[in-house]
Amino acid sequence: MSVHLTEDGRIALEGDSGLDDAEPLLLLISANSGASVDWRDCTGAHAAILQILMASRAPLIGPPQNVYLSDVVEPALRRYNERGFPRAV
Amino acid sequence: MNEFIEQFLLEARELTEQATSDLLALEDSPTDKERLDSAFRAFHTLKGSAGIVDFAAMARALHAAEDVLARVRAGKAPITTALIGEALGCLDQVAQWLDQMQVDGEPPAKAEAVADSIVARFAASAAHDAPTPLPTETAWLDDLLVRAEAFSGKVRTAVRYTPASDCFFRGEDPAAVISALPGLVVLDLESNGPLEPLGSLDPFACRLVISALSTAPGEELAQFLRPHGDEIVVRSLIEQADGDGDGAMPATARTLLEAQLGLLAESEEDGRPGRVAAAGRVAANVFHHLRRTADAERIEQSVDAEDLARAIAAIIGGPADREPAPAAASAELVATAQEARVLRVDVERIDGLVKLVGELTVLKNALGHAAGQARDGADATALAATLKDQHARLTRLTAALQQSVLGIRVLPLRHVFQRFSRLVREMAAAGGKSVRLVTEGEATEADKAIVESLFEPLLHMVRNALDHGVEPAHEREAAGKPPTATVRLRGMREGDHVLVDVEDDGRGIDVGRVRRMAAERGVAAPEAISAMSDEEAADLIFAPGFSTASEVTNASGRGVGMDAVRTSIRRLGGTVHLSNRPGLGVRVRVTLPFTVMMTRLMIVEAGGEAFGLPMEAVVETVKVARDRIAPLGAMRAIVLRDRTVPVLDLAEALGEARAAPPSADAILVVVAVEGQLGALEVDRLGERIDVMLKPMDGLLAGMPGVAGTTLLGDGRVLIVLDLAELLR
Repeated sequence: MSVHLTEDGRIALEGDSGLDDAEPLLLLISANSGASVDWRDCTGAHAAILQILMASRAPLIGPPQNVYLSDVVEPALRRYNERGFPRAV
Repeated sequence: MNEFIEQFLLEARELTEQATSDLLALEDSPTDKERLDSAFRAFHTLKGSAGIVDFAAMARALHAAEDVLARVRAGKAPITTALIGEALGCLDQVAQWLDQMQVDGEPPAKAEAVADSIVARFAASAAHDAPTPLPTETAWLDDLLVRAEAFSGKVRTAVRYTPASDCFFRGEDPAAVISALPGLVVLDLESNGPLEPLGSLDPFACRLVISALSTAPGEELAQFLRPHGDEIVVRSLIEQADGDGDGAMPATARTLLEAQLGLLAESEEDGRPGRVAAAGRVAANVFHHLRRTADAERIEQSVDAEDLARAIAAIIGGPADREPAPAAASAELVATAQEARVLRVDVERIDGLVKLVGELTVLKNALGHAAGQARDGADATALAATLKDQHARLTRLTAALQQSVLGIRVLPLRHVFQRFSRLVREMAAAGGKSVRLVTEGEATEADKAIVESLFEPLLHMVRNALDHGVEPAHEREAAGKPPTATVRLRGMREGDHVLVDVEDDGRGIDVGRVRRMAAERGVAAPEAISAMSDEEAADLIFAPGFSTASEVTNASGRGVGMDAVRTSIRRLGGTVHLSNRPGLGVRVRVTLPFTVMMTRLMIVEAGGEAFGLPMEAVVETVKVARDRIAPLGAMRAIVLRDRTVPVLDLAEALGEARAAPPSADAILVVVAVEGQLGALEVDRLGERIDVMLKPMDGLLAGMPGVAGTTLLGDGRVLIVLDLAELLR
C-alpha cells in the first residue's frame, strides 16, 4: 500500500498497490524520468498501476513476490515494453 | 402453447427470412440503402418481439447485430463480407432457437451462453470496424499463440477483454478480474490507442486491452467475463470434437426401438426369421428418419437376432457411437428439411371456402330429409331419384371443395429458392470458386408438398453443378468466359405442370468420359453404351451406381449420385431432363405436376388384395390367352402390337400368394414407365377413382415400391404402387 522514492533513486512499489497509488506513482515517474520501478515487494497491482507502468515504459526491477505478478503480469509488461510502440488494436 | 408465442414464432420466422434475403442482397450490392434499412428494421423488430416474449438471450444477440447495422447505416463502418457472415450466423441461431421454442413454447435453456458468443463476435467485428487503421483483427491472437506453444495441447481458449474506460470509477479492477480468470496461462497487455505522452495520461481512465490464453472452455470464460464489460472476444482454439451435443432421441422413436428389442427377445421359434427381419427394418427406418445414417447402416448390417438386439441396445443406450459431425456442419444444418408450418392465405380463397361449406350444409339437411322419407316408407323409386340428384350435387361440391383447398395449399417457389442464395455462397466459398446465383420465376406457385420436397433434389443438382460443372476462375478465363460463373434457378408454369430449371454456364458434361466411366462401372453393357446418342449417354449420370466425381468432395459425392435426384423427382410424379452443351454448361429441367394431391387410380386385385395403379401410367388393359405369354430367359414376355412386353405377375412381385388357380385367360394391365412398357398380370380389374394420395411420411417414407396410401369407400386402406420401382 505504498509508493515512494528510495534514497538511491528507485521508485518502490510495496504491498498491495491499489487505485489510490496510481496518481502518486504517475507523479513520481513524471518527476523522475528514467527512474526504475522496483516492485519486488509488491503483492498486488491495480490495472491503473499496470497502465502507468506501460505508459512510462519505466525499467522494472523484479520479480515481485506474488506468483501471479511475477509469472504472468511481469512477462506481459516486458513484452509490451519490448514492442516499443503500441500496436493498433 | 399460448397465442402470444405462436404469433411470435410466426412473425419471427418471417422476419428472419426477410433479414436473410436483405443481407444476401446487400452482399451483392453493398450500397443498396433500402436493403440495409430493411435488414436493420427486421433485426430491430425481431429484437423487440423477443423482448415481448421474455426471451432475453435472443434480444441480446439481436441487439448486438442491430448495433453493428446501425453503425453501418450511420456511415461509421463499412459493410463487409465478414459482417454479413456474422449477421447471417446470428439469424441461423435465431432460427434454431425458434425451432426449439416451437416444441414447448419455452425459450431454450442454453441460449444465454450462445448469445454471449454472438455478442462477443459482434464486439470483435465492431473493434475491427473502428476508425483506427490497420484492422489486424487476429494480430493479438497470433502473438498469444506464439506463447501458447509452451502449453501446447492444454490451451483451449483465447480471450480478449476491453474493459470500459470508466471501470476504475465503478470500483472495478480489470487486473484482479483477469487474475481470477479460470485456467489462465498467458497474459498479454495492450493499450487502446497510445498511452504516451505520460503528461497527458489520465490515470483514472482505463485504456487497457487485455488478452489471455486459458485452459478453460470458451463458454466458461464468456460466462466469467460477462459481468465485467461488453467488449469480450472469446475464441476457441481447439476443433469442437463433440458434435452438436444433442443425443436426445424422440420418445416415439425410443419406444419403437424398445418394442423391437422386445420382439427380438421373444423365444418362440415360429416365424422367427420374419420377426427379426421386420424388427431390423423398423429399427433402420427409425434411424433413417432421425438422419442417423451411421446407426441405420449398423442395423442394416446386423446378421442375426442377437447381433441386431445388441446393435439397437447399444445405440439407444447412449449417443456415444454417433458419427462425428461432418466438417461442413453449417451447410448440412441448413440442408435439413424445412417445412412451412404456417400458410398465409388470401382472404378471397377463405371466403370461397365458407360459401362452399354453406352449400354443403344445405345438402346435409336435404340428405337428412331424404333419410326421414326413407324411414317413413316413401316410394323407393322417387327416393332413389332424390338420392341420385343429391349425390350428383355432392360430387360437384366435393370437386369444388378439393379445387379450393388445393388452391390454398400452393406455395411460391421462392420458399425453396431463397434458401439457395445462402447455400451457394457457402458452397462456392468452400470450393474456392466464384459463383453467382440468379433466381427467376420465384413467384411460380406449386403445391406445398411439391415445393417442400423440391429442396433436396435441387440441392443435389446445384451441388453437382458447383462441383463438377463450374470451372475454377483461371480455367474460365482461359476459355473466354467471365471468371464468375452463373448458376440459374428458374421456375415456370406450363399448363398443369411446373418446370424448374437448374442451369450452369460451366464446362458441360464430357460425354466421352461419361461413356467410359459408365462402361467401367457396369452401369450398362458396353455395346448399349456405344449405341447411345450423346444425349442418351449424358443422361447416364442419372443411372444408379454412376458418379463421375473422381474425388469425393464434401458437398456432393458420398456415394449418392444423381440417381437419387431422379428417384425423388419421380416420387413426386415428375421427370428430369438434361440438356448438355459441352463447354457451355448444363441445364437440368425438372417437370412436376402442379399438385400431387389428386391422383386418378385404377384399382386392381392381385393375390386377394386390392392395389391402386396410377392411371397416368396405364396404357391399356388386355385379356389374353395364357399361352400367348412366353418364357423369355428368366422372365416372361408377350408380343403386343409387334412389341415385346415383359410380363410381371403382380401377386408374385409383391410377395403375395396366388389366391385362385390360374385361369385360361390372363388379365394384363399394360403400363408405361419412362418410355418402357411393362405388363402386370392381375386377378381382376376394379373401378377407377380419384383420390387424395397421401405420400408416405415419417417411418414409412422409405418403403420401396409404394407411392402412397388412400382410403376406399368401404374404409379399407388402398396401397398405391410405385410402378417405376416395381418394374426396375
